[in-house]
Amino acid sequence: MKFIKQLIPWHRLDRMLLLCLAGLMAFGVLFVYSATYNNETYTGAHWLRMPHYKQIIFYGLGIGAAFVLCLRDYQQTARWANVFYWLSLIMLAAVLIPGIGSVRFGARRWFDLGVTQFQPSELAKVAVVLALAQFLSRPLKELKEPKVLLKALALAGVPFVLIFLEPDLGSALTLLPPALVMLYVAGAPRSFLRKLVGGCVIFVSLVLAYVFFMPKDWQPIQFPDYQKRRLMVYFNVDYASQYAGVGASQAEIRQARALQRQDSYNVVQAMISVGSGGLTGKGWKQGIQNAHGYLPRGVAHNDFIFSVIAEESGFAGSTLVILLYGGIIVAGIRTASQCRDRLGRLIAIGVVTLLFSHVFVNIGMNIRMVPVTGLPLPLLSSGGSSVVCSLMALGLLQNVRLYQRTI
Amino acid sequence: MPQPTNATNEQRLHLAGAALLFGMAVLLAGLAYVQVVTSLEHEAEQKNQSRRTVRLPAVRGAILDVQGRPLAHDRPSYVIHTYLSELRHHFRKAWRDAPHDTRTEAGVRHRVIGDFIAQLQLDQPFILTERQLQKHFIEQLALPIPVMRDLSQTNVAWFMENAWRVPGMDVEAQPHRHYPSESVAHLVGRLRRPQSIPDEDHPYNYRLPDFTGAMGLERTFDETLRGSAGTKSLLVNNLGYRQREKIVVAPTPGNIVVLTLDLEIQEAAYKALEETGRKGAAAVVMNVQTGDIIALASLPVFDPNLFIPGIPSKLWNEYREARPSPLLFRATQERYPPGSIFKIISGLAALEAGSNPTNFVYNPGYAEVGRRRIDDTAPPGHYDFHEGFKHSSNTYFITRAIETGVESIITLGNQFFLREKTGLLARQEAKPQFPTLAEVQDRSNWQDGDTANLAIGQGPIAVTPLQMTVMTAAVANGGKVFSPRVVDRIMPVDPSRTHEAQQFPPAKVRGTLKVKSENLAHLQRAMLADVADDDGTGKRARIEGFAVCGKTGTAEVRNREGRHKITWFASYGPFEKPKYAVVVMVERGASGGLSCAPAAKKIYEALIARDNPNRIAGNR
Repeated sequence: MKFIKQLIPWHRLDRMLLLCLAGLMAFGVLFVYSATYNNETYTGAHWLRMPHYKQIIFYGLGIGAAFVLCLRDYQQTARWANVFYWLSLIMLAAVLIPGIGSVRFGARRWFDLGVTQFQPSELAKVAVVLALAQFLSRPLKELKEPKVLLKALALAGVPFVLIFLEPDLGSALTLLPPALVMLYVAGAPRSFLRKLVGGCVIFVSLVLAYVFFMPKDWQPIQFPDYQKRRLMVYFNVDYASQYAGVGASQAEIRQARALQRQDSYNVVQAMISVGSGGLTGKGWKQGIQNAHGYLPRGVAHNDFIFSVIAEESGFAGSTLVILLYGGIIVAGIRTASQCRDRLGRLIAIGVVTLLFSHVFVNIGMNIRMVPVTGLPLPLLSSGGSSVVCSLMALGLLQNVRLYQRTI
Repeated sequence: MPQPTNATNEQRLHLAGAALLFGMAVLLAGLAYVQVVTSLEHEAEQKNQSRRTVRLPAVRGAILDVQGRPLAHDRPSYVIHTYLSELRHHFRKAWRDAPHDTRTEAGVRHRVIGDFIAQLQLDQPFILTERQLQKHFIEQLALPIPVMRDLSQTNVAWFMENAWRVPGMDVEAQPHRHYPSESVAHLVGRLRRPQSIPDEDHPYNYRLPDFTGAMGLERTFDETLRGSAGTKSLLVNNLGYRQREKIVVAPTPGNIVVLTLDLEIQEAAYKALEETGRKGAAAVVMNVQTGDIIALASLPVFDPNLFIPGIPSKLWNEYREARPSPLLFRATQERYPPGSIFKIISGLAALEAGSNPTNFVYNPGYAEVGRRRIDDTAPPGHYDFHEGFKHSSNTYFITRAIETGVESIITLGNQFFLREKTGLLARQEAKPQFPTLAEVQDRSNWQDGDTANLAIGQGPIAVTPLQMTVMTAAVANGGKVFSPRVVDRIMPVDPSRTHEAQQFPPAKVRGTLKVKSENLAHLQRAMLADVADDDGTGKRARIEGFAVCGKTGTAEVRNREGRHKITWFASYGPFEKPKYAVVVMVERGASGGLSCAPAAKKIYEALIARDNPNRIAGNR
């Protein structure tokens, strides 16, 4: 007993964080079940293959990993940040090699581990946050030097490019907010940040202009077509104008429209799910969109889990989900502001920003605020890598709380 | 560490935190917009894509005879339904296994369903064609497809035992219109598939087969018989297959229409007509005291059952082209010259005009009017009213008509409403023909020869058997000319709503004959003698213990089809206390006495048997 008592300073556990986590995990199991209980793929499957059981197992694994991360002071853990970082870079590079990384939905993002799949970009996100926190926690003076700042940018930039190459633009882009916020909180000069944000805005606008307005034959780099189409769906661009030229025949226009309907199908159905949930929802397992196949079964329990939650538990349920995530963010900000050293502070703010950008993009795409990207909703979406890595990141946050030197 | 920088960092941290929380607030606002503000729109979109409404026709009300026997009713017909959603795996599997070069989707699906039906080993053929199946897939995927109709009881039982062997099949009872007796086909009418749906503009996705009245009472009372349709809501999945269903509005069954007609008498009348051996005939039976129609038979008949679910065009053309036409309701829809039964009127008119019934007229075997001779079938000799009527002497009635003037016939005919429809049936009644007073007074057009013709029921006069029945009944009941009725009441099916039943008033007396009662008595006695006396023309209608009064008639018709005779027997009985009027008309008969009187006799026998159930055995 004494041994267990001494493992970690139990009394300093962040209760609010744990409470919110428990709430989210309960939501996760319930609605992953609801999203898959009548999915033909799983009827008669071994219980270990059932997504909700898998979810529980991954919660267990994630909590275990988080606990291990909490055994040592974050100052000590951070010493391993570089190792951790390089390891994930190697994996990111390896997953790009055919034969090692496996292809699903046209992208090479996964290691096939037999029982489950592992997505190294999830791990890389945590590694980047940790490495960046470690790097930026150097004396403030040094942060004024362009060389250091560029190094910091490279630290986030290399994994960004590797993930981008998979291709997984969505995941790559989620690295940007934590990197920016950490640079900002760490004390990078205002002028540098201004340039950085300005650069990002220009870059994004250029990409959009390139995708939409540059004639296809002139484009030196061909974007994957689906990226472009997702953007077109998001901006509600008429496919006929892009795919069928000026003198296009009726058949070509019809074909373009059909493609548009097909591409916007997920978003349209997600909107219908969320919207038809109304104030209180249709009740657990009573959702029509998922149960009757309108929400594609392949994504209902992972990327579009929020649609299921929102349809079945309504605005009340989605508010609760937002509050639970908000609770974690508040807990993270509180930890960060109470922490006296910059490493802990940066870890805390980095972790919650990473969490935030996932939540924002994922829920945003369900209500058409954000273009569709294959990004999981942390802790709720079924998917091992995401759940375990999210819990590890939150473990780091808890670690800061446990071992911080308060005033 | 310099203090100011730390303070800035603190500020930056709070700003960053505030930005994150602001982002969450934006999400919440977006969700509120989607889930609360515009929620109804999305709900409507969802309903639109996942709900299909089905119109459920109500069970059609029955048409019953006076004893409650069904003349038309919906009875269950057993149909095997296949739920396509439950066969999807089998379709997919069969599709994979089928030879790739020759397979078609419809073909594979058809074979899968056919194989399952074969496993049931029913002794009825599998009727579904590939084209029907394909049509169903495109138009009504969410509905089960009927693959076998009109299952016999044995097959229903067999199916119940074996249904577990096959997926996605179920037996269902569907209302199916049935007409137990062909004899009432013309009166009850028939149904057809509606061309347009009159009743509602509800945007249904699907409509189950429904029928509307196309003829007869089915048409006249269509609205009350049809009831009101219900609505079923189906939940379909993204592929359009049915997932769940719910009855939103239950159909309200149609009302029951009860007639004054008696099926037993109707069938007897129909049989009697058939036994004349002639192809076209009609018989009407009416209660002379109430004006209620007891039977309205017409030969030849059609089979209204063949019109459900739809008549094959070949058969329909046969019906349309057949002569005599089976679609014509001879009791009310066709006009005939009355011939000698009109002597009932011309005789009574002569008496009313003051002619003495006991004065004799000499019959040399013909009547001479101007330069024309009209044959008389009555043997030569002296005839008074009684004898002239009994032997149907043309000479007697022509002489009396010319003596007393044609106006008296027209005046009396008007009292019988011979120029107007009786109003019994809405669309199946022909307008009769009878000269007006003005016409006969125009001497340039109307000669004695015309009067002579009219006196014996020829010339510009054409009547329906129903009308002659009303006429005979008026003579029998002392002068009441009825507007006959055949529908007694309309009742709801639901026994708890019987108070909503609509009872029709008794038949209206349209007018009363302004004739002297002793003249009417003369006529009645003459009609009795026509049957009761051995030398009466209607003697073949005589029944022991039931005094039938009658008048035979035989009218010559010349038309494109050549010459033929319309033969009649107009009668009532019993003499002492008149109850029934029976009129029989046979096209191309031998004579009224030979063709029609025996048929009338059979009808009276049926009436007597009905009224005295104990006497049946002794009477036949």
